[in-house]
Amino acid sequence: MISDETLMLEFQRGSRPAFEELFARYKEPLSGFFRRRLASTEVAEDLTQETFMAVIRASERYQPKALFRTYLYSIALNLLTAERRKLARNAPLANGTVENAADSVFWVREALQKLEPSDREILMLREYEQLSYLEIGELLHIPINTVRSRLFRSRMALKGHLEPAREGVQCT
Amino acid sequence: MHLETHPFDQEELMAFLDGELAVDRAAAVVSHLDGCQDCQKLAADFRGVSRQLAGWQVEQSGPALANSISAALDTHPGQSRGKLGFLLRRQTWAWAGGLCAAVLIGTVVIAPRLDKQHKLAQSVAFLKAENDGAFQIRDSNASTILETLRSPMIVRTVQLTIAVKDFAKTRSTVDEILKRHKGYIGQSNVSSPVDSGPVLEATLRVPSDQFEAAMAELKALGRVDSESQSGDEVTQQYVDVAARLANARNSEQRLTDLLRERTGKLVDVLAVEKEIERVRGEIERMEAERKNLAKSVDFATLNVKLFEEYRAGFQTPRSKSFRLRNAAIEGYRMTVESVTGAAAFLLAYGPSVLFWSAILFFPVRFIWRRLRHHLLNSL
Repeated sequence: MISDETLMLEFQRGSRPAFEELFARYKEPLSGFFRRRLASTEVAEDLTQETFMAVIRASERYQPKALFRTYLYSIALNLLTAERRKLARNAPLANGTVENAADSVFWVREALQKLEPSDREILMLREYEQLSYLEIGELLHIPINTVRSRLFRSRMALKGHLEPAREGVQCT
Repeated sequence: MHLETHPFDQEELMAFLDGELAVDRAAAVVSHLDGCQDCQKLAADFRGVSRQLAGWQVEQSGPALANSISAALDTHPGQSRGKLGFLLRRQTWAWAGGLCAAVLIGTVVIAPRLDKQHKLAQSVAFLKAENDGAFQIRDSNASTILETLRSPMIVRTVQLTIAVKDFAKTRSTVDEILKRHKGYIGQSNVSSPVDSGPVLEATLRVPSDQFEAAMAELKALGRVDSESQSGDEVTQQYVDVAARLANARNSEQRLTDLLRERTGKLVDVLAVEKEIERVRGEIERMEAERKNLAKSVDFATLNVKLFEEYRAGFQTPRSKSFRLRNAAIEGYRMTVESVTGAAAFLLAYGPSVLFWSAILFFPVRFIWRRLRHHLLNSL
């Protein structure tokens, strides 16, 4: 399989199929990134589109210094931060379909909401975007050991938050 | 969990489950996990949290996203320029300007070398085409190889047979010649056959730039009985090995980067490490091959045979007393040999002869008597 970085360089040289391949690879992960972090699916869709547009616009300046995935999520994270700043400091997690969601998903969202914002971001980047500790450290500009300790803290906290929910579900 | 009872902390266990632990450490965690219930429970907890989080699935993006990106690509300058679009890029003009300047400088400063460089470039290009698909010579590697190949690489070998008058003196002169030209003896053998003078057969290695001078001095040692020279060009072979070596090093670098930057399951990490090990083995083998080639070019081989011209000598006749003494000694030796042989025969066969004689004596005597009696009666 051709690497993301090679595809991006090919796109830089004018290959449209190369970017279409990249888009196919990251369309859903990036859409999920925004949908899990924003209440509005429309805004999430817009930001997904805006992220890819930013990649297209900056393609001539692209240099494969880091992984393309890190590059893509750094753009996405910047757009998300700007959006949150527009909305509010601590925007709630996506809740547009909470009513229709299964119980387990509801409790997961609730439990995530209880975490510290920075810890929550690290946990979500790891669990949903499947980024490595190194990539998360590069994205958030923190040392890799800090990533590991915060990830551990957030997982233990989340386990504590999910236990009562699981017991409640079992009782009912 | 305490380090006194567990060889690692909880964070390391989590990192192991995430595929973020070093291979040696991960192997230790695996062996510990097999027998530790506490760690197994903690691992199960981590997995349970991940499983619950994975339950939160979001809807897939709509077709509008793909359409908008497709439209954006249509209007993207890089796409709309068409085949001649590169002419509009500033980078293209910058590169073109730099290239023109380089050509100008090259023409003025290194014009005398152009022809040689061109031939070498052709050689590399030929090899590139020949090995198309198997490897790619990076620009930097190609220039390094070109730098090495300022002239054709030729392995020179000479067979030289020289008849000398004074063998001992000539041998020391050979050593002096080698010392003077910074050469060395690869192998040597001296023999003194009967009815012939002493012979030296040696393999001499002389630096290629000293080869002609050393040859001239060796030929002056005596009468040249035979001489043959051969030269094998190994330029293409050397470029091939060097290019494959550079490619293998690039592969090693990419695999090392992959191991450092990517994370995954333990089996994937081990697979990458195994591949790195294989590539490193290849690199070592090719490096040895490249060095051998370079060495065989740097040093010419002279297979030299030096022999002293044969002079027949006068043989002094042996004295009669000496011959008689030798005959007496030979007679005594033969007597002792025959007595010893007879004694050995008796000792070897005597007991069995006696044994069978004792057994057969009475039956044979009985038969003999009966026969004799019968014959007498018939008369």
